[in-house]
Amino acid sequence: MVQFLEGVKHLCAAVLNCCDADLYKQPRGLEDPEALARETVFSVSEIEALYELFKKISSAVIDDGLINKEEFQLALFKTNKKESLFADRVFDLFDTKHNGILDFEEFARALSVFHPNAPIDDKIDFSFQLYDLKQQGFIERQEVKQMVVATLAESGMNLSDDVIESIIDKTFEEADTKHDGKIDKEEWRSLVLRHPSLLKNMTLQYLKDITTTFPSFVFHSQVDDT
Amino acid sequence: MPSNLNAFDIISFSPGFDLSGLFEENDRKKEVRFTSRQPASTIISKLRDIAKRLKLKIDKKDGGLLKMEGLKEGRKGVLSIDAEIFEVTPNFHLVEVKKSSGDTLEFQKIMKQDMRPALKDIVWTWQGEQQQQEQQDLQPSHVPQLQVVSPPQDS
Repeated sequence: MVQFLEGVKHLCAAVLNCCDADLYKQPRGLEDPEALARETVFSVSEIEALYELFKKISSAVIDDGLINKEEFQLALFKTNKKESLFADRVFDLFDTKHNGILDFEEFARALSVFHPNAPIDDKIDFSFQLYDLKQQGFIERQEVKQMVVATLAESGMNLSDDVIESIIDKTFEEADTKHDGKIDKEEWRSLVLRHPSLLKNMTLQYLKDITTTFPSFVFHSQVDDT
Repeated sequence: MPSNLNAFDIISFSPGFDLSGLFEENDRKKEVRFTSRQPASTIISKLRDIAKRLKLKIDKKDGGLLKMEGLKEGRKGVLSIDAEIFEVTPNFHLVEVKKSSGDTLEFQKIMKQDMRPALKDIVWTWQGEQQQQEQQDLQPSHVPQLQVVSPPQDS
């Protein structure tokens, strides 16, 4: 009797799969929320709620279940007309598969680092990589200058080159304890532990309330509880 | 003394690095920033004036932080606003004005209708907006003790 039921179950599954593949060209969808929850600081409910946000962002331009650079810019700045050195850097860091698009897994794993409960070491790592523009394993003075100039330009602020140079001088004086003209991971870590406000962008309080911001996740929930 | 900004502080003010945009609607911003070419003391006294006029209780904390609090309960409790002044150079400051409690819409209304117009003569640029006035320093910069620097105004 049990075997018969098993057989029926298999038959149904095969039929459904067949129809699924042909009739619906679905994006991969939320395949395994529990697995993602295990590997991030999110709970299963938070993963499901995050998926609602992901769906919203990823369908803005092309409804393919993936976030491309334009959709990312649109979500961040509410306009796709805004080029930003920093948004590019962030996108690249999210894109761990290096294929120019973000799937939900990459999205969730990256945002996990921004959760208030994420370990501070993860935040320190991520921010270091963010500022290491050329990805050489250290932050050069030239990279810092480039970022300062870009930020000031973005905000319509104009400071003379002298002033910018002196700000960077002061920063390196404090941060570059090995005096080699660059800031390595260790020096970054010490700097940030002395100035915790430098990590403020690495925490998004919104992530703590995500299940209340996107309550519709309960309608699509694949799990029983918690 | 307002806190000193290092290069990474400045960089962290970039909207590109601020992922809260993913969660916020554009018009629900809880904070605004502006730059000023005035010395900190001028900025502080300007904010004090505004607070007094708007009947906000003002409390100056250490490190360039001013806490302003409404006296009446609004839609979501009392509206509290923090204004934090950061020094880039002694004559270039970045000021962050943010809602610390209360209703975001009330915060935005008070910013738009009251604070922004009142701050006009000390603001150099509002973050996210191009520099509006070709305003040369109309105010005299730090004038040493007794010297009369400006030419006599007769004619």
